[in-house]
Amino acid sequence: MTVDTLLAALGLIADPQVLIVILFASAFGLFVGAMPGLTATMATALLVPITFFMPPIPALAAIVTASAMAIFAGDIPGALLRIPGTPASAAYADEAYAMTLKGQAGTALGAGVVFSAFGGIFGTVVLVTAAPALAEVALAFSSFEYFWLVCLGLSCAVLIAQDSAIKGMLALFLGLAAALIGLENPAAVPRLTFGTTELMGGIDMIQAMIGMFAIAEVLRAVAATGTRLPPPRAVTGAIFAGQWELMKKYPVQALRGSSIGTLIGALPGAGADIAAWITYATSKRFSKEPEKFGQGHVEGIVEAGAANNAAVSGAWIPALVFGIPGDSITAIVIGVLYLKNVIPGPTLFLNQPQTVTALFVIFFLANLVMIPFGWLAVKSARRILAVPREVLMPIVLMFCIVGAFAVTNSPFGVGVMLAFGLLGFVMEENGFPVAPVILGLVLGPMLEQHFVTSMIKADGMLLGFFKRPIAAALGVVTLLVWGSMIWRGLRALVRKAA
Amino acid sequence: MRLDDRLTGALLLALAIALLVYAMGLPPMPGQRYGAAAFPTVVALGLGLFSVLLIWQGWRTRRPGAPLFAWAGWVKDSRNLGNFLLSLALVGVYVAASDKIGFIPLSLAILFALFVRQGVTWGRAAAIAALATAAIQYAFASLLRVPLPRGLLDSIL
Repeated sequence: MTVDTLLAALGLIADPQVLIVILFASAFGLFVGAMPGLTATMATALLVPITFFMPPIPALAAIVTASAMAIFAGDIPGALLRIPGTPASAAYADEAYAMTLKGQAGTALGAGVVFSAFGGIFGTVVLVTAAPALAEVALAFSSFEYFWLVCLGLSCAVLIAQDSAIKGMLALFLGLAAALIGLENPAAVPRLTFGTTELMGGIDMIQAMIGMFAIAEVLRAVAATGTRLPPPRAVTGAIFAGQWELMKKYPVQALRGSSIGTLIGALPGAGADIAAWITYATSKRFSKEPEKFGQGHVEGIVEAGAANNAAVSGAWIPALVFGIPGDSITAIVIGVLYLKNVIPGPTLFLNQPQTVTALFVIFFLANLVMIPFGWLAVKSARRILAVPREVLMPIVLMFCIVGAFAVTNSPFGVGVMLAFGLLGFVMEENGFPVAPVILGLVLGPMLEQHFVTSMIKADGMLLGFFKRPIAAALGVVTLLVWGSMIWRGLRALVRKAA
Repeated sequence: MRLDDRLTGALLLALAIALLVYAMGLPPMPGQRYGAAAFPTVVALGLGLFSVLLIWQGWRTRRPGAPLFAWAGWVKDSRNLGNFLLSLALVGVYVAASDKIGFIPLSLAILFALFVRQGVTWGRAAAIAALATAAIQYAFASLLRVPLPRGLLDSIL
C-alpha cells in the first residue's frame, strides 16, 4: 500500500455521502442485530437493494458497518432477555443473562462493545496484511488451482456444519443445481429455463438470499404468533468502567478469540456464529476458573465476543482474494461487488488498489464508531426491544418484496424470493442447513467454468488436475477433507446401528 | 412439514435422475468434448449419491412405527397456520397482480391484512400500513428511483 493509494482512499471516504451512509448503516445494523429473529445476514440482504443506487465505496461502507454493528448488537437481547439477537451471540447469551441477574448487565454489554471492536480491528489488521500477500500468490493461479480452491471452500462449508454432513452435501448440490439455470455456462446453452425468458439470466443470488435469510425468518415468526418476548431487564452498572481492567486481565483470551475468529471467518461457509461457539468452548477449556462459566462470568464473553466480530472481517479475505465467500454475509457482498464492477480476485489488488484500501479504512472506521454507537444502543436497548414483532414482521416482508423487485425490476424476482423463502423454511424444519445452498448458488458458475476449462485443458485426464504444484497440494488437501468426511460419516452410521 | 429422511432422500433421488436425463439431452459444444452437459452431469451424480446415502441413513436409524410424513407442531394451531398461509398467499398475489393493481394499493392491503391478522387493532393497523407504505414508496420510488408498479394509480402518480 503506497502513501498515494492511502491518500486516494482517504479522499474517497472523506466524502460526506460515505460518512452519512456509515451513520445510517450503523443505526440500521444495531436495530436489526438487537431484534431477536432478525440476523446480521438479513440486515445485509435487506441493505442490498438500497446499495444498488450508490457508488461502490458507500455501498461497501453500508454493508461493512451494518454487519459489524449487527453482530455486536445481537449481544443486547442476549444479556437482557436471554434471547440472542443474532445466532452469533447464542454461544454466550446464557452467560450474559446470568451476569444481568447479578446486576452486571452494564459490564457484560460493555465487554460486548469493547471486545467486539477489539476483535473487529484485529480481524481487519489480518485482512489488511494477509489479503494482498495472498493475492500475490493467487496471481499465478490457473483454472486447476481455482477448481480445487472452490472444491475445498465448498467442502469446508459442509465439514463445519457438522450436524449432518449428508444433509449439508445435499443442500450444497441443490444450490449447485439452482446455479445451472440460465445461459451462464461455457457453451451458453439455455439450461432448465423451461422456455421462460425470465430464467435465461439464471437465479438471481440476491433474490434467493433475501428469500432464504429473510422470508424464511418472517415465515417462522408468523407461524409462531403469540410467543411474545418477555419485558427486557434494565441495564444496571456502568458500561465502560472496568473494561480496561478486563483488557489487562484477559489479554490472552481477547487475542486467542480474535485469532480463532479471524481464521474461522476466513474458512468458507463458517462465520461469526461458529466462531463464537468454538471460542466460548476454548475459553472455558483453558480458563483458570472453568467452574465459574455459566454463572455470570465475563471471561467467555471477552473471548467469544471478540471472535464473532473478528470473523466478520476474516470472511472478507477469501471473498476479496478469490471471490469465495467466507460466510453468508460475504456471499451477498460478492454479488454486490460484481454489480459495482469491482470484480473480486487477485487482480482487484492491482487494478483498484484505492478501492481495496478504502475498504480497509472503512473496516477500521466501522469498528471504532462501534464504541460510541454501541454505547448508545445499549442505553436505548429497552426502547428498541419494545418494538412489537407483530408490526415489525409484516413491514420486513414488504421491504423484502420491494427489495427483491428492485434487483431486476420484475415481479418474477419476487416469485423467486418467495420460492427460496419457502425452500429455506422447509429445509430448516427438516434439519438441512441453508448456507450451503447459497454457497452452491454463488460458486456454481465459477466452479463450472474452472471445471470445464480444466477438463478441456487436461483432455479429460483427472491426473492433469494434479500436475501443477499448488494445484496438486490443494487437490490432495481437498481429497483428505473428503476422505475424513466419508470416514466420519461411516463411523457415525456404524455407531448408530450398533 | 417434517419428512422422514428416507422420503426426502427418495424425492431428491428422483430430482437427481431427472437432472441426469435432462443433462444427457443437452447439445455438445462444437469441437469440444466437454460442454453444457458436463457440469450438470456431475451435479446430478453428486445429488444422487448423497440422496442414496440419506435414504441409507434414514433406513439404519428408522424408528418402528414412525410415520414417513408428519406435520410440525405449529401447523396444528389454526391461527399460526392461517398466518403462514396468508403471508404466502399475499406475496403470491403481489407477484400475480402488482403490475395491474400497483404497489401502493397492494402494500396497504397486505400490511393491513397481516397486522390485523396478528392482533393489531384496526385503526392502528390502518395507520401503520399507510405510514409504512408511504415511507417505502418515498424511499424506493422517489429517492432510489425504483420503478415500483403504479397500476391503478398510474394517472395520479
